[in-house]
Amino acid sequence: MPRAGRVALVSGGSRGLGAELVSGFLERQYWVATLSRTKTPFITNMLRAGKRRNFHWSAVDGRDHEALRAFVKKVGERLGRIDVLVNNAGIATEGILPIMRTRDIVEAIDVNLTAALVLAQACSRFMLRQGSGCIVNVSSVHAIRGHAGVGVYSATKAALDGLTRSLARELGPRQIRVNSVAPGYFDSDMVSDMPEEQKQRIARRTPLGRFASIDEIANAVHFLTSDQASFITGHILVVDGGITC
Amino acid sequence: MLTAPTLAQIESTVHGRIRALLAERVGEFVRLSGSEKLSATLGLSSLDLAFLVAELEAELGVDPFAKLVSITSVRSVGDLVRAYQQAFFPELQRREDDAIAAAVKRAQTRRARRESR
Repeated sequence: MPRAGRVALVSGGSRGLGAELVSGFLERQYWVATLSRTKTPFITNMLRAGKRRNFHWSAVDGRDHEALRAFVKKVGERLGRIDVLVNNAGIATEGILPIMRTRDIVEAIDVNLTAALVLAQACSRFMLRQGSGCIVNVSSVHAIRGHAGVGVYSATKAALDGLTRSLARELGPRQIRVNSVAPGYFDSDMVSDMPEEQKQRIARRTPLGRFASIDEIANAVHFLTSDQASFITGHILVVDGGITC
Repeated sequence: MLTAPTLAQIESTVHGRIRALLAERVGEFVRLSGSEKLSATLGLSSLDLAFLVAELEAELGVDPFAKLVSITSVRSVGDLVRAYQQAFFPELQRREDDAIAAAVKRAQTRRARRESR
């Protein structure tokens, strides 16, 4: 890969919100690097010979910290910079805590939290040298409001918000901004198995009366990574149609 | 860097990076002996230290603080130089460990002699 213009690294960019973010950054003329466990039809399409010279994908398991670090190093060294990190990769761990398997708890923490910490650490090395950068952690409304059956997921997302606030203070002096986007319910794989009745109940409880579309969540991320948000750091931007207000 | 640098080259690289950082602050290059405290004498913050580590990783290709050394053990310019020298020459760490072990043994022997009198 040759040296690039602005570079965005998106974790979990093979589907859902991650894929939407990848497409959005490419439209905004970024060079985009993403990682996911498996190659999806979206990735295959993006990699189709010669289609996107400014797109890079690697198969990386978020639980493999050394592989995450190696991926960031490769991207940073080859493209010469990392301007944006979006910690998007995550798994939805459901079930009540008293009967949850320990390995499911550990996996959720590994993928949703530890991987984000490792990526932020590795990317911040490049951002420190540049004297600029932007990190967005994709959190959740579950980090703000308690809901039965998502305790572990909530814990990982609330931890991400804590990371956002502390890292904003830590890295701010070097002009690196750190924010969270906390989506409410939106059309994604995570809600595809949800019973229709439950979806309707959630929509009724939402002041805007519906789920978000995926691009409405992505737009919030793009706003925070844009120059229009140049004085915003340490902020948790809730994008939930008002369900937590 | 393709070949391992010498101890003197490592020291020169670390000093050079610190001097460049300080030059941004005070507008002039300062002389370093190695005994200066990074925080107390030179006024470097932990974020400055993180910046130095990132710069040195890019230049030397190693990060001794990833696994080998705890960043909290670095107080002076000399400590920082030694951390990078040990990353390239692990035997330095072993020699240092041996020296500490020998000193502890000598102290124990002296104590034992005193107590037996």
